[in-house]
Amino acid sequence: MSGAETRTGVTGNTPLTYAQLLEANNAIQICGDETYWLCVTRTVQGSKLFPVSAYILLSYANAFYRYPEVLRKIEKNMRAEDVADRCRGIGMKVQAATMGWCLPAFYLLGREWLLSLGLLRPQDAAEDIAYVMDFWRRFELGWHRNNGHINNAAYGHRSQILPNRRLEVFKADIFPCVPGEPLHEATLGFLATVSQYAFLTACECRLNTANTGPYKLDDDQEMLVRDFMDMGESSLPWLDGVTADITYNNLTVTMAARGCHFDILDDWGSFESKPEFRGEMLSGVGLYTSDLLTDGHVPVGMGSPEELTATLNKITEELKVAMNKLWLRMADWSRDQLMDAGALMYYASIKDIAHVAGCFEVSDWLEIDPRAERLRPILNDEYADLALGELVGYLTLPNQVMSPFEMMKHSNKPQRVLTPLPLSILAGEDYVPTVGPIQPGSTTLDPKNDRYNTTRGTLTLAEYNQAVRDYTPESLTPKYRFLCETWVKYNAHTELANELYKIDQRNSRTLKGRGTGKGPV
Amino acid sequence: MKLYVDHDRYGEAPQFALVEAVHNSVRDLVRRKLKESGDDWASFVFGSGEKLITKADFEAIDAKIVATGYRYSFTSMASVRDRPDIYKPAPDTTTNADTFCFEHPEAVTGPPDAEGRALCGVGDNVSRRPTNIRGIARYIRSSEQVIHYMKNGMPENTVAIIDDSGGTLTAPICEKFHAVICAGGTVRSHLGILTREYGIPCLMNARISGIYEGDEVEIETTAPAKTAEAYQTGQDMPAYIWRIAK
Repeated sequence: MSGAETRTGVTGNTPLTYAQLLEANNAIQICGDETYWLCVTRTVQGSKLFPVSAYILLSYANAFYRYPEVLRKIEKNMRAEDVADRCRGIGMKVQAATMGWCLPAFYLLGREWLLSLGLLRPQDAAEDIAYVMDFWRRFELGWHRNNGHINNAAYGHRSQILPNRRLEVFKADIFPCVPGEPLHEATLGFLATVSQYAFLTACECRLNTANTGPYKLDDDQEMLVRDFMDMGESSLPWLDGVTADITYNNLTVTMAARGCHFDILDDWGSFESKPEFRGEMLSGVGLYTSDLLTDGHVPVGMGSPEELTATLNKITEELKVAMNKLWLRMADWSRDQLMDAGALMYYASIKDIAHVAGCFEVSDWLEIDPRAERLRPILNDEYADLALGELVGYLTLPNQVMSPFEMMKHSNKPQRVLTPLPLSILAGEDYVPTVGPIQPGSTTLDPKNDRYNTTRGTLTLAEYNQAVRDYTPESLTPKYRFLCETWVKYNAHTELANELYKIDQRNSRTLKGRGTGKGPV
Repeated sequence: MKLYVDHDRYGEAPQFALVEAVHNSVRDLVRRKLKESGDDWASFVFGSGEKLITKADFEAIDAKIVATGYRYSFTSMASVRDRPDIYKPAPDTTTNADTFCFEHPEAVTGPPDAEGRALCGVGDNVSRRPTNIRGIARYIRSSEQVIHYMKNGMPENTVAIIDDSGGTLTAPICEKFHAVICAGGTVRSHLGILTREYGIPCLMNARISGIYEGDEVEIETTAPAKTAEAYQTGQDMPAYIWRIAK
């Protein structure tokens, strides 16, 4: 699963074609439409602790100057669609929010902001832009290969990504619970605490959590798969030390709910339901960990309801202790440190794809490029709030205003979020193909300690990169990788399908060794 | 000299004056440096321009605005703490706590009703409940206050009044709140998401007036939770807030 494909135009070998520009502009428009819907309907940003808007704009600029090169570096090791396959079955931070929206949106919103400042023309970095959009499209199609959509929005805000064999295990192993039972209470307490913790570790954004699904369990129950990621000493330097006692870097909760329908799973990885989900609707729970060194999800405390209750309570206490330590660290930070952490959290939201490819380097992901850094002095709170509001909500920056005949999706106003690539470059209008290599950056944060919490213990970065390169989960070996859901539908009677199912059932309490048969073992 | 993006058939000035001022200054800077370079744009944009347009140039733009006497509004307390010279003064959240209250211009108010409840505002309900919630109002607006409650414990029945829709400022003490009134955000803001997870009654986007530290308040958590459709269409779904007569 390695080796970058030479793609005309997007690697700088040959000029961009008309078809490539059309594809890029389609991807830009998809991203722009969904950005507007998400920003208008899903949140209002604000924090007394973090200068959120300021760090967001800084991260956008950093993404514009750095994503093309770091993505090309990843594809020298592993292609985008292969990265998607590698991550679909584990709960790492390669998810709807980070890859479905952050990757294209941060990059393109950075471009849009720089356009409004007069620092760019629409055709500048044209080959970079086409390449980033092509990377995103291939990743997304791979990630969504079991549902065939390009993102959750195209699926009607739904996020069903897992194959039947994994869902059978999740359903069979889930522990039912009802309000008042210890497991029910422990689960709700854990979910609240881990959500709070994840917002803090992510510097006031939701990128350390993700929800996928829903999956229908029966006529009255649906299941969400809820991932909580980068909870320990990972590639976020501000977690060093204060999270040393966190056992699991990634946790996945399978959450069954009765009496509500999860009608929105958006491209930020967040959910809504009708009627709105409340704690008493929780009807079942499972707990797993995973990372690049596991073959799928590994059960955590799943021997019995009592064991799971005790495990959830123990982890909840771990998280509370770490949360207080981390909060005190952050409350003592300077504004520049708060900005750097937030900007790097955003910019590096996609960093785990470098871990997937076994080529993560601190200097690629945990520094602010000088071309972005120079903009910091204008990023006071008021300007940043207003400029970000214009950029993603009001759409009133001059480059976002369109012909008066136009009626934008969702708003009917003559506006757009993101500027397409001008086709005029095919007619000979000059353009600059790329922003060029990333430049040595800087940060006001403490350097990253060489400690990475994995399912094989705490590794150095060199050990972690090597271990990932050396390991291919069995289900992703050539024998099994392309045995898709369509194949399973017509070949479940074969021994090969039986083997495939048994891989996912290895750690199952109830289905181990069952294969493609139906019902319990 | 005009930039490529200066020729814009449809574009208008940005909506906000500060954004327009900053962007005009940056465009002036780019024009000046492009001329100074003697290069064409293609050589300038990711070439000589990266050396010629420096952080010091952006510092000069900021300094020029501040030199007019303008002081920026702040959202992060760290911003005004680190650069008091460029921001409007921070409110004192400790010494005047008993006399401080939010006074929102859109607050809906009214005289006490038969139960002694004086209407003090409205908000967006995060999650509908079978009964309304009563508790004691306490403003929580700074890291120092959070540290105080970490050390001394959170008093029971605290209805936290917060002007921060985020989920980080109150992270160490959030689970101890009896209820939350947040003067910002939407039910989908981080604080709205977290209170829903904790099962803590919460009104977001609250527009309130006349609630002081220590007042007993009631919030209408029996009101319908505000929906995504209501936000998209601008439909109001008010949940009321009352102060209880002493």
